[in-house]
Amino acid sequence: MSQKTMCVSQEGPANALALNRENNQVVIAGRNVFKVFSIEEEGFSESCNLRVGKNLNLNFSCNDVAWNTLEDSTLATAATNGAVVLWNLGKPSRSKQQHVFMDHKRTVNKVSFHPTEAHWLISGSQDGTMKCFDIRMREATRTFMSNTESIRDVQFSPHNSLTAFAAVSENGNVQLWDVRRPDKCTHQYTAHSGPVFACDWHPECNWLATASRDKTIKVWELSLEKPVVEYTISTIASVGRIKWRPQRKHHIASCALVVDSSINVWDIRRPYIPFASFKEHKDVATGLAWRGDPQVFLSVSRDCTLVHHVFKDATRPADQANPQGISLNPAGDVAFASRISTNNVPFSAKLQGYLRKSHLTSEQFCQATSSMHLYSVKAVRETRWFVESARRYILNGRSLAEMCDHNAGVARELGRHQVSLVWSIIKTLYWSSRGGPGDPNPPSSVAVSASLREENSASNEITTVGTVASAAIGESERSARSGGGVLGVSTTTNGEVSGTGGAGDGGGDPTEEEPEIDETTEIFQNGVHFGLPSFSKAPMTQGDFFFGDGEMDPLDMDTGLGVGNTVGVGGGLLGGVGAPNGGSQVGPAGGPADEWMLPSEAFPLRHEIQDRSPPPETFPNHLEPSEQETQTVAVEEQPAPLLNVSSLITPLMWDCGHVVADALRHHASLGDVQMAASALLVLGEKRRGLGIDEATQEHWMLGYIDVLGHHELYNVASQVIQLSWLPDVNQLSQQSTTYYTCCGKCEKPFLRTGWLCDRCKSSESSLCGVCHQVVKGLYAWCQGCAHGGHIHHIQQWLLTNKHCPSGCGHLCEYN
Amino acid sequence: MFEAKSINAEHKDLIHDVAYDYYGQRMATCSSDQSVKVWDQDEQKNWILSANWKAHSGSVWKVTWAHPEFGQVLATCSFDRTAAIWEEIIGETPPQGERGLKTWIRRTNLVDSRTSVTDVKFGPKSLGLQLATCSTDGVIRIYEAPDVMNLSQWTLQHEIQCKQQCSCLTWSHSFSRLHPPMIAVGSDDNNPANGSKVAIYEYSGIRWTKTESLASIGINEPVHDIAFAPNLGRSYHLLAIATKDVRIVTLGSPPEGSSQRFDVQLTAQQEDNLSGTVWRVSWNILGTILASSGDDGCVRLWKANYMNSWKCIAVLRGDGTQAKSDTSTSSMPTMGQIAAPNQSSTTRYYKLGTITNPNQVPKY
Repeated sequence: MSQKTMCVSQEGPANALALNRENNQVVIAGRNVFKVFSIEEEGFSESCNLRVGKNLNLNFSCNDVAWNTLEDSTLATAATNGAVVLWNLGKPSRSKQQHVFMDHKRTVNKVSFHPTEAHWLISGSQDGTMKCFDIRMREATRTFMSNTESIRDVQFSPHNSLTAFAAVSENGNVQLWDVRRPDKCTHQYTAHSGPVFACDWHPECNWLATASRDKTIKVWELSLEKPVVEYTISTIASVGRIKWRPQRKHHIASCALVVDSSINVWDIRRPYIPFASFKEHKDVATGLAWRGDPQVFLSVSRDCTLVHHVFKDATRPADQANPQGISLNPAGDVAFASRISTNNVPFSAKLQGYLRKSHLTSEQFCQATSSMHLYSVKAVRETRWFVESARRYILNGRSLAEMCDHNAGVARELGRHQVSLVWSIIKTLYWSSRGGPGDPNPPSSVAVSASLREENSASNEITTVGTVASAAIGESERSARSGGGVLGVSTTTNGEVSGTGGAGDGGGDPTEEEPEIDETTEIFQNGVHFGLPSFSKAPMTQGDFFFGDGEMDPLDMDTGLGVGNTVGVGGGLLGGVGAPNGGSQVGPAGGPADEWMLPSEAFPLRHEIQDRSPPPETFPNHLEPSEQETQTVAVEEQPAPLLNVSSLITPLMWDCGHVVADALRHHASLGDVQMAASALLVLGEKRRGLGIDEATQEHWMLGYIDVLGHHELYNVASQVIQLSWLPDVNQLSQQSTTYYTCCGKCEKPFLRTGWLCDRCKSSESSLCGVCHQVVKGLYAWCQGCAHGGHIHHIQQWLLTNKHCPSGCGHLCEYN
Repeated sequence: MFEAKSINAEHKDLIHDVAYDYYGQRMATCSSDQSVKVWDQDEQKNWILSANWKAHSGSVWKVTWAHPEFGQVLATCSFDRTAAIWEEIIGETPPQGERGLKTWIRRTNLVDSRTSVTDVKFGPKSLGLQLATCSTDGVIRIYEAPDVMNLSQWTLQHEIQCKQQCSCLTWSHSFSRLHPPMIAVGSDDNNPANGSKVAIYEYSGIRWTKTESLASIGINEPVHDIAFAPNLGRSYHLLAIATKDVRIVTLGSPPEGSSQRFDVQLTAQQEDNLSGTVWRVSWNILGTILASSGDDGCVRLWKANYMNSWKCIAVLRGDGTQAKSDTSTSSMPTMGQIAAPNQSSTTRYYKLGTITNPNQVPKY
């Protein structure tokens, strides 16, 4: 048998097709086409055209065609004019028409031969009757009145009694008849909520499948007393034809009456998705027939083609279907649904040896289900940082330094040292250089740092090596941010700034903090005259590296020494100074800092932390009256002139804006738009010096506002909107905010004004309880008794009274 | 790091999509059983089924939430060739069905497609209420609700022919006015000869035009899912692609004088093939973590380090029973360690070696 998909076109669409007993010939019939093809290995060949002769009347216009189950030469057609026509292919003449039964009054929808008693032919018509013909007697032997409008399909049962047949009708009913009892049907039940277009008896089980305009195929178990729906397949369109697949108990092929031009084969146990889909047709299929083989069937379509389908060319919609779903929410939780493989044992593989006709593994199509899992985040992660920072950052109302310090403190408490550092840097760059006590000095030192940058990058490489080493150590405990690793962080103030970077590396993400140092940190460090010396040692030692810090300073200085003479001097000074400095700092920092990182204790420890946070802010401003001061001052004054001499750049020319801009851009690209947007807000007018274009600024602000929305931080969002200097952002709070108030009396919303009710025609409910005038602006009222009035009147009243001004006796509460 | 919890979704067939709402407090699932379910979180953080309805007459492929500004609105697309817009009815008390389920009603049915609609996504809020669908006949359709208060009226604004069957699409959610509206579509066409399976379309204000096909990085295997990272402040776009592996593509501004629209770089590509075919990719809201899931039934979380190279930071599996049935993953080198004694329901968290592309140049 041919295992190829083949196609042949005709002059007109066929309504039906039928195969002969040997399955090697096919007849197709329609209004303008009536042909027999023999099916060959490579294609179809037309063996007979029955639509010939002088008088092509409506008898040639067919709704259905049936091939006699025994006699290979006998065909029957259901004609659109109500005739049932018998054809004899063996007739020697050109016209093969043998007999015309003119018994039906209206179009005949269906003709069907009995599977074993081949001389029995049954027809179903639009006139609501079925007629059983004995083709030997050339007359309608019996008429069955269905009492319905029209019969769409009729088929003899292959089971139990040889005399049973089923008929389906347009009113949604199924009738079961016995040929011997034309007076009354044996069973009748409503199968569908719309017209039933087709039915098909299962070749083995006592199942009847019905197809309807309600887009379903139902499988009825008829062995029981009452018909029971065993399976329901829901398809995407009205179902026109159905045919059980031979040798596959649970498979049925269907084609749609409208919309869907594909032919689907379903596994009734998985009634939602076709097991296989055949898409050769360009228009809806009108008839289908299996070729006795489960792999091959034929179909005709309204697109005027006859197609020979083979299973290997089918598409499998279920295989293309996405078996998984995944989603992340703002908290970072993951929802995940995936397929559970219900039967892993390849059934067919086991039985292959026993069965002659082995099932292909691809025929396994059992019910599929999914499992769903939720993974909720337990550890401190971005989300918490984000929400906490958003809540606690101060964005306006204080001096730049205070805001930066506060925000740096917040970031530090949350363990985000790089962010904290950026805040500190911003402060240092923008505060100390403007109006700070050491006005001329800091910029010059900054300039030095700029000139040092190249050298820094050289030593930076060494640092990276150190970091990598520490990363290797840190790798194993990567998720556990050990207290030791964080220790250095708490003392962000002086030379330890760089220790921070390194320490964070050791304990936390080994690499993430690096870029900070690359681009901005070191500048800060240098600006504060501490950078290089203490740069790379922190990662080397775990835990109490502060002492090591000091000890290793000289060593690191060697790396720094290559920088140049002047720097060497400055560094040398630093080395000396840095060691005691570091040592002195560890005492206070070590203890609390250890617990500091435990998120649960972040809050109780807040005060302590704030006690500690002054150092960063005070130090650059030389405000701390500790023993550090002398050292710092000494350091600062000494290198500055030295470096100034060597540096050829005019100190004040250096503009730190682009560095900060780079830092913010970097943060934005890391996904930390919070930093970028908050910094812009805190910088206020100084942001102009950053050289970030408005589009980018707007991008950041809108991005930040959106994430705030995801976390339901509306207050912060509106603060950001309010503080924003960008018209497009600022206008957000002025759009689509409508608040309707209701009349206090009839509860009808005020539509025109806020004080006159359209229904009551009065403003009684808007009267002020104190002055008894209509309140046309803000109406303040007590939530308890609902009386109120002008806000200033109420305020005044409450200064002297506790009870409601209306006299209701309520002890009003305003807050 | 992660606590795993199993939910009995009680879908009668495969679940094809899961979607959190904007706040992450509601969840919608859709399945081949033609139904959509909505889950709400109660005070104890349990997920409670709040609605369940038959949405389509075919498999429901995707479900997605609109921005909450437009109400509680879902869009679904299906094998039955339609996409539908659903809205939850609030305030009208009577239709509180049995078991206190909430009612969702179909506001519209978008029936323009002649084939299965494979993906549906709402556009960025700044464009109003827009919806993009794509279908297996290779057509992207952009719909718009001109009046956001009337969800039953949608006009088909654009039809884009993309010549290959589409399996997935994604909007670029960028807040920058420098970034025009952008859509990427993926195709699960099996024929590698048909060229790149990803296409990027941009809106000029008049029409959508194809501006990039990622031909330079050669994605010729079927693409099952695609996702733009939320762009909160980046100057470039990140696009995650689920094909036979996970890939992350950067679309930056082209160098001066280049005729190309984008400077396309393959930023990361999963090097092992542990997950088999990758079916889904999804970003967190910051665009910093990418989740992918593949045939092995594991979720992998990816994060970039400062070198801009992407590392797998976690592999999430279901509970123990699921791990057992999943024999295909035994090839995983680290499996032995994790599966051993831990019988708690907590998900194992372990790290694989280097999975990322080493020849990355740091961008910053």
